[in-house]
Amino acid sequence: MRIVIVGNSVAAINAIEAIREKDKISSITVISDENYRAYSHPLLPNLVIGEVSRSEERFYYRRQKFYEEFKVETILGKRVVKILPKQKAVKLDNAQKIEYDKLLLAVGGNPVKPPIDGLELEGVHTLTNIKAADKLRKDLKNINRVVVVGAGLIGSKIAEKLAKKGKKVVLVELARRVLFPVLDDEAANLIHKELKKLGVELILNDSVVAVDGDKRVKSVKLKSGKTIDADGCIVAVGVAPNAQLAKDANLEVNRGVVVNDFMQTSNEDIFAAGDVAEAYDLVLGQKRPIPILPLAAAQGRIAGLNMLSLGVKYRGGFASNSISIGDVSFISMGIVDSDELEVLKIKKDGEYRKFLIDEDNRLKGMILVGNIEKAGMFHWMIKNRFDVSWIKDTFLNSDFGWKYFNKAFRVLRLDRKIK
Amino acid sequence: MKVVKIKEDNCVYCHLCEVACIVEHSQSKDIIKAFKREERPIARCSVEFNYPVSLSVMCRHCDDAPCIEACQNGSMHRDERGYVVVNPDTCVGCWMCIMACPYGVIKRDTRREVFGLSTKCDLCPDREIPACVEACPNEALTYEEL
Ligand SMILES: Cc1cc2nc3c(=O)[nH]c(=O)nc-3n(C[C@H](O)[C@H](O)[C@H](O)COP(=O)(O)OP(=O)(O)OC[C@H]3O[C@@H](n4cnc5c(N)ncnc54)[C@H](O)[C@@H]3O)c2cc1C
Ligand code: SF4
Ligand code: SF4
Ligand code: SF4
Repeated sequence: MRIVIVGNSVAAINAIEAIREKDKISSITVISDENYRAYSHPLLPNLVIGEVSRSEERFYYRRQKFYEEFKVETILGKRVVKILPKQKAVKLDNAQKIEYDKLLLAVGGNPVKPPIDGLELEGVHTLTNIKAADKLRKDLKNINRVVVVGAGLIGSKIAEKLAKKGKKVVLVELARRVLFPVLDDEAANLIHKELKKLGVELILNDSVVAVDGDKRVKSVKLKSGKTIDADGCIVAVGVAPNAQLAKDANLEVNRGVVVNDFMQTSNEDIFAAGDVAEAYDLVLGQKRPIPILPLAAAQGRIAGLNMLSLGVKYRGGFASNSISIGDVSFISMGIVDSDELEVLKIKKDGEYRKFLIDEDNRLKGMILVGNIEKAGMFHWMIKNRFDVSWIKDTFLNSDFGWKYFNKAFRVLRLDRKIK
Repeated sequence: MKVVKIKEDNCVYCHLCEVACIVEHSQSKDIIKAFKREERPIARCSVEFNYPVSLSVMCRHCDDAPCIEACQNGSMHRDERGYVVVNPDTCVGCWMCIMACPYGVIKRDTRREVFGLSTKCDLCPDREIPACVEACPNEALTYEEL
């Protein structure tokens, strides 16, 4: 069988690993418009300020020999411009055609371009791939005062890094707090403090309406009328599924490429996984794109197995994030703010714990700040719709752990008898 | 695959497993040096106590290892033996593995300069019998097929 994968990142690599676990014979071809082996996107802000370099293994997603070891043919630096479902082939930007029996779209997302004038000026950057990171890194010598637009994961992280590098950073966010969907006011306030400590100027409840300058950005205009002098601007208002290829091939697309429980698109020989796909969110009970790395990995794996017709269902995932800003670590997952759910929370020196539980006593989300080490236990509870009625009283204890569980359950779980 | 089986009824909260684990992961593998002279490693097992319950918990080396799936740069991986271990040279201490580990057994080492280091049970690669198992006086930990 000929397996072709478009995209060469988290979803693609996990698909390859899953395929090779079961099938040593099929040919696997990976096509990417990027000229590099798979790398860690979350490390791009570190790359920009030189905390990691391209020569370090740490920067990559798998070790050097990966493609050789897994017998993968790579076509790098070539863009797939069209899927030809009838011919079961993809067309590259050099007009070459590659035929497939099963195709995986693992093409990720694109940075969202907000409707702002002046984004074409020099000094305006995004930060979602190596090319963008390199461009920003080279431009740093021209940047003293930078406006970061959007305080999501990427915006907050690069604001922190550039401030550490001694740049004057202004972070502008439309919502009333940073990382709006991922944190609540309380936790976000802790990040606000850390950012301020680093010298980041934070402007909330405001947005950028224009970037001004002749050739290069000189200032940034806000909705509130304020003007900020700047010689650099980083636009980080989110990523959107890169669904154009799928659309052009008449696959079903909403915000992302629609897939069934087997990560299969509306064409049975074409699969999609990762940031490009709209998979099941098991906390919200609906399909939607959730652009985070662990889900791209999980979906890639499932897609890989199902390209071999193994019929493995994707149970769904939910948003979860681990963020460290300054000296503080945060882990949050699922629903983090709600008026309808039961809320348990506690805040004391350097520690914040919050849990959201529904009327059936199922955990729906949580935030841990400071003391994060048991976070994954709550991840398991959310994922497995675990009945927390008898244990939720202990969630707020800093020493939460196995000792609070019911013995029979604990023994079975630790013996790996309950998955 | 053999892992460390936890027999909580035999555990008397003596912390010897933690001591043995620290020594095993020290530079010298000498108890005095490990505790007093070198940078002390972090124990990969943790003893929990809630009267009358006590037990030592460490990585269960999951078949589907969610920590591996969550890792952003392949630092968390399966070694030649099939056990889940972290590569200390590449780990960037992002704690995505901690976010995902359903057993809550990954700890943070934040003593390095730029990047933190995720610290977990590696099932003692240099030993036939894991150090914690050998050190436990009451067979509250045993090394067996689960
Ligand atoms: C700066 C930054 C920080 C992040 N931090 C975190 C974090 O802390 N935690 C977290 O969980 N997630 C984080 N993410 C998100 C995470 O990186 C993504 O969820 C993950 O990379 C998605 O993987 P993917 O395989 O779906 O696609 P991507 O990683 O987006 O890769 C898609 C690949 O396909 C290629 N491609 C696209 N179209 C074509 C085409 N037509 N032809 C050929 N190739 C094509 C692209 O060039 C790219 O190489 C971060 C992302 C960025 C950019
Ligand atoms: S660290 Fe946690 S998730 Fe990883 S293998 Fe061990 S128990 Fe499983
Ligand atoms: S802390 Fe280290 S091992 Fe854990 S996910 Fe991050 S890079 Fe991987
Ligand atoms: S098996 Fe080894 S590494 Fe794991 S807890 Fe026991 S002593 Fe520590």
